[in-house]
Amino acid sequence: MEEKQNAIEVRNLSKAFKVAYDKPTTLKEHLVSLGKRNQVERRTVLENINLDIKKGETVALIGTNGSGKSTLLKLMTKILYPTKGTLKTYGKVTSLLELGAGFHPDFTGRENIYFNASIFGLTRDEIDNRIGDIIEFSELEEFIDNPIRTYSSGMYMRLAFSIAINVDADILLIDEILAVGDQHFNDKCYKKLRELRDSDKTIVIVSHSLDAVKDLCRRAIWIYKGHVQLDGDPNYVINEYLNQIALDHKETRKKQEKEGNRKNRGIVFIDGPNSFTHFTPTKNHFVIRGWSLCDYEDAELRIFVDETQILDYIKISRPDVIEAYIQEFAGFIENDDVGYECSFDISTLSFGEHHIRVLLYDLINNVEITDKDVVFYYDPVEVI
Amino acid sequence: MQLFKDLYMYRELLKTNIKKEIRGKYKGSALGILWSFINPLLQVVVYAIVFPYIMRGSMDNFLIYLVCGIIPWTFFTTVIGQGCQTIRANAGIVKKVYFPREILPISVVLSGLINFLISCVIILLFVFFGGLGISWHLILLPIIALFQSLFSLGLTFILSALNIYIKDTEYIVTFILNMAFYATPILYDTSLFKGNIFFQIIFKINPMATFINGYRDIFMFHQLPDMQWMMLTGLFCALLTVIGYLIFKRLEKGFAEEI
Repeated sequence: MEEKQNAIEVRNLSKAFKVAYDKPTTLKEHLVSLGKRNQVERRTVLENINLDIKKGETVALIGTNGSGKSTLLKLMTKILYPTKGTLKTYGKVTSLLELGAGFHPDFTGRENIYFNASIFGLTRDEIDNRIGDIIEFSELEEFIDNPIRTYSSGMYMRLAFSIAINVDADILLIDEILAVGDQHFNDKCYKKLRELRDSDKTIVIVSHSLDAVKDLCRRAIWIYKGHVQLDGDPNYVINEYLNQIALDHKETRKKQEKEGNRKNRGIVFIDGPNSFTHFTPTKNHFVIRGWSLCDYEDAELRIFVDETQILDYIKISRPDVIEAYIQEFAGFIENDDVGYECSFDISTLSFGEHHIRVLLYDLINNVEITDKDVVFYYDPVEVI
Repeated sequence: MQLFKDLYMYRELLKTNIKKEIRGKYKGSALGILWSFINPLLQVVVYAIVFPYIMRGSMDNFLIYLVCGIIPWTFFTTVIGQGCQTIRANAGIVKKVYFPREILPISVVLSGLINFLISCVIILLFVFFGGLGISWHLILLPIIALFQSLFSLGLTFILSALNIYIKDTEYIVTFILNMAFYATPILYDTSLFKGNIFFQIIFKINPMATFINGYRDIFMFHQLPDMQWMMLTGLFCALLTVIGYLIFKRLEKGFAEEI
């Protein structure tokens, strides 16, 4: 088998941050704190990481917030340096940690392309060769000679992404930026990333969007509490990752229950009718539709129109909702029938303003967890 | 050698940074970049008016004498002052993008050097219209300017990195620069302290004194400076730059965390 070259080599890497509650920054504070050096608390974010990322691989780092995956990416960029161990990169590295770092608002888009690309280590000639591609990709042809303080945030991001993606680095490090601009531009970014993946570029992505990871990457590395928990095919790694989140969520809840400070979290959503809809007597019934999620099993969904509770609603399967909230509510979603739907006879109402209120009710403690309101009007004739 | 490879690779960044450093400082003001020349001239005017009263029996061509001292001194203090803050001032990119950090102090020194070389035209105008004339000794100007740049670069490396960890650095430096102003023969001549061993030693070991006397030799007096001492000072400055660079390299690893 052909042995591929490594693009990134991580050996016995540990990273700790000083957590000083009042960090000495002035000379006086330094002098005062000299005697109590030992009080500096060190929090280990990454511990004994060993990794090889081969040339041409597309790898995703997944993990919960605070697991250390972004720190690992910053170490690869050489913004941070390891406390112990080594990290070596082979080839030109470009990072998209924060788009538009170093943009100057008073300069035009074109000038900022030059400045930003020069931070990535491009020479003038190289930028001259690429500027056409960059501008075309960003779709900002009309605005490129305006100062970028006049840009919308979407335009700003588009410009920044276009520069970074066109730097032509060997190793591309991307942190949670796959949500750039509108759907059209987003699709374009994905297409470009897929192109880069299929070339010989090495890409490392940090993302919470697990679908994007499955789509783009051939390998996922799950960082859990500062170490590599699993490393391999994305489908399996993501599955195990979600199982672990579910376990962790339950664990946290048990702990909270023991300490008596548990907080229930729930979401209620009303898909229809929309707020401020006007109904007329031409229709007898309308449908109330939506979904709810809760991390508490003794919660009941209650639907009210004004003060009348509607008891006969049906549960509906909502895979789209599950997909969006799988990480946040992992461990609390047993079935995918989180949706609800019921029909309401409008003719029982008087004309005027009415409210639909859907809430999650905590049956043990007799409190509302969360609720959602919609106002609608029942008019005798069509209002134009 | 990694340094020179990096500098070559990132030459565009170095160039844009120098431009930003030169133009950015006075951005928005009506006179713009002219301020970097007006400022030292105004200083010269103030000292030229005040000092003849304090120091009786002042020397010939005191005005030119002042110009030859203040313009190099302005080069030095501007670089050190800006250099101290350069990493902090660029915190935004330091925290988010990798690039060779030494670009920042180096571009401060180079922009200062460019400003200084342009300011030398002012000195030349003074000596020319002051009737002192110009001589071949001017070929030493690039050498002295280079030594002074190395001296500033070495200090900037150390101070800019230190200022990230200890914020007081820039205030302490301001104070020391104020003191150093009087320990350097800018307003007076070294001969004033002829019998004073202490001051003679200070003038010897203060590289800025050596440089400023050197500038005066080549601009005003049309004579060679003490070349042996000049070269020794140059050697010291080169050494300082290397040490400063090593310190900077050691401390730069914590920049993104500490800033």
